[in-house]
Amino acid sequence: MRLALLILLLALPARAEPLVDAAIAEHIMPGTEKLSVEADALAGAAMEDCSPESTKLRAAYHKAFDAWVAVSHLHFGPAADEDRAFALAFWPDPRGTTAKTLARLLATEDGTVETDAAFARQSVAVRGFYALERMLYDPPAGEAAYACRLTQAIARGIARTTASMAREWPAHAALMRAPGAENPVYLGMGEVRRALYTALDTGLEFTAATRLGRPLGSLDNPRPKRAEAWRSGRSLRQVVLSLSASRALASTLQAGDKVDAAFARALSRAETLDDPIFAGVSDPVGRLRVEALQQSVLAIRHALATELAPRLGVTAGFNSLDGD
Amino acid sequence: MPTRRKILGGLAAALTCSPTWADVGTPAYIAAAREPDGTFALYGIGAEGADRFRIALPGRGHAAAAHPGRPEAVAFARRPGLFALAIDCQTGQVTARLQAPAGRHFYGHGCFSSDGSILYTTENAFESGAGRIGLWSTDEGYRRIGERASGGIGPHDVVRLPGTETLAVANGGIRTHPASGREKLNIETMRPSLAYLDEDGTIADLCEPGPEIHRNSIRHLSVRADGLVACAMQWQGDPFDAPPLLALHKRGSSLRLVGARGPLQTLLRAYAGSVAFSGGGDRVGFTAPRGGRAQVYSVEDGRLLQEVRRPDICGIAPHRNGFLATDGTGGVSAVGAVGLHTLTRANRAWDNHLISIEQK
Repeated sequence: MRLALLILLLALPARAEPLVDAAIAEHIMPGTEKLSVEADALAGAAMEDCSPESTKLRAAYHKAFDAWVAVSHLHFGPAADEDRAFALAFWPDPRGTTAKTLARLLATEDGTVETDAAFARQSVAVRGFYALERMLYDPPAGEAAYACRLTQAIARGIARTTASMAREWPAHAALMRAPGAENPVYLGMGEVRRALYTALDTGLEFTAATRLGRPLGSLDNPRPKRAEAWRSGRSLRQVVLSLSASRALASTLQAGDKVDAAFARALSRAETLDDPIFAGVSDPVGRLRVEALQQSVLAIRHALATELAPRLGVTAGFNSLDGD
Repeated sequence: MPTRRKILGGLAAALTCSPTWADVGTPAYIAAAREPDGTFALYGIGAEGADRFRIALPGRGHAAAAHPGRPEAVAFARRPGLFALAIDCQTGQVTARLQAPAGRHFYGHGCFSSDGSILYTTENAFESGAGRIGLWSTDEGYRRIGERASGGIGPHDVVRLPGTETLAVANGGIRTHPASGREKLNIETMRPSLAYLDEDGTIADLCEPGPEIHRNSIRHLSVRADGLVACAMQWQGDPFDAPPLLALHKRGSSLRLVGARGPLQTLLRAYAGSVAFSGGGDRVGFTAPRGGRAQVYSVEDGRLLQEVRRPDICGIAPHRNGFLATDGTGGVSAVGAVGLHTLTRANRAWDNHLISIEQK
């Protein structure tokens, strides 16, 4: 059924929509391919040496995580199906569900780590990069041999999830290229453009409000330990990578010079911040600099709303922004 | 099969020429929308999603209430609106303009008494912050005839329990004042409630979420034929730590949260837009426009049965055995056993709510 649909869609004459084609060909497909390749290498490294101190494993973790951040804003299609994006990246986690669930698996030596199919049914909280970060940089107490199998199960799970995404993107891209009344997802090209714009804008919103906003907390109550992936020293790196990837997507959509300049300003602030895990949010000067970075990310969103949204014919979510 | 009462009713209508909903193309639903040029309108929608009528509105609408007998709808301005319009859906004429009394504004919802003689509206007495239910006599040009306490702060939605004159009111718990627009003034101390008001205004029952979820604002309601009330909520705490956004309540028992506090909850973005029972009444569905999703649960055991995705999905109402949903991209979609299927799509943004017309 799905195959028949795919063949049908591939057979349809592709209507000229160069922006969408460019976003798919230059951004979505290479990004998801790269993620799958790096995740496969990560699983390989974990199988070879699962010790948390393994230099090779840690390097593979960073490379795969980098590749994930570069596509993490593409939270639709195969990434949203089966909640895959969520399974790869369950964060923020204010209840500490990842740590608690990992601790429980370790304490009971839960057997689901033995088979990939069983582990795939575990909570999303223990199946992605943030769970792996825990296992490598702050492992809960447990028996080493079991911890090893758990680390390997998480890494293999990441590889499987990203492989499924890479496998399914071509079919979803075909849907994006041929919207219409018979298309089960996109009824018109406007919906495709909207999906891309929403991905871009929501990714930036996440960076401003969550990646930067959560550690900032409030003036009275800064929360540096809420920074993303601080255990492996990645907090600022996540912001830089995510901004760079969003900039690339904006460029395929021909967002224009003003948008690109806004990206350049934010990236320059991020690259000169010199505070890899936002420890400075507790200090008045350091805090100001993180706030300035946050403002510059919000400025990109503003530039997108005024420059790109009208050109794509996208209006802001009517109900989602309503607040009633 | 037409009942004797329906036939008689039809005859009476024909004899006296008093119009019925059939005279406006028998819409099954009404909903407000924003047009591409930025203006607003109220639409009548047929059972399968087609437009039945269109009436221009002077500003952004929120919800509407359909008169149980005649083809008349009251469209409410979005909060803190001061106007509501009674509209003859046959002629498109405004038959009455409801002005919020001094010191009051509307929240955007209302409902009719069973005989259609009284319209109830949710209102904010904003100097004291007390919630009010306004009473309007529909047969006297919607004259204001009184008001009563809503049982809490921020009464947003109101429904009437079928077969009774008892109202269920969603007191969202959030205090606002027109001077500060939509700013929330009491998040730390907010206490949402579901209040039941008898015909004489007595607060017959008041149900509050526990203190640990006092920031779960009860905002929208749906009621089943047997009086079971479904509540859609909006979490005002950490969006990554939201409790369930759906609850069921039967008078005399405690609030029953539906859905689990857990990782996947995050995808709903702490915000439920609208709620409805399914056509058959055995399921309850709610929309999460920020998450671009709708979820359907079993009423009996609270199990998650289905989740569908559609950008900016918000309005939801019963349809056949399942649901009909509207979204901000102009889609009207059926949500049935096989998932979401978009029936019609127009170049407009459907506003928050899809209102069923229940004909007598």
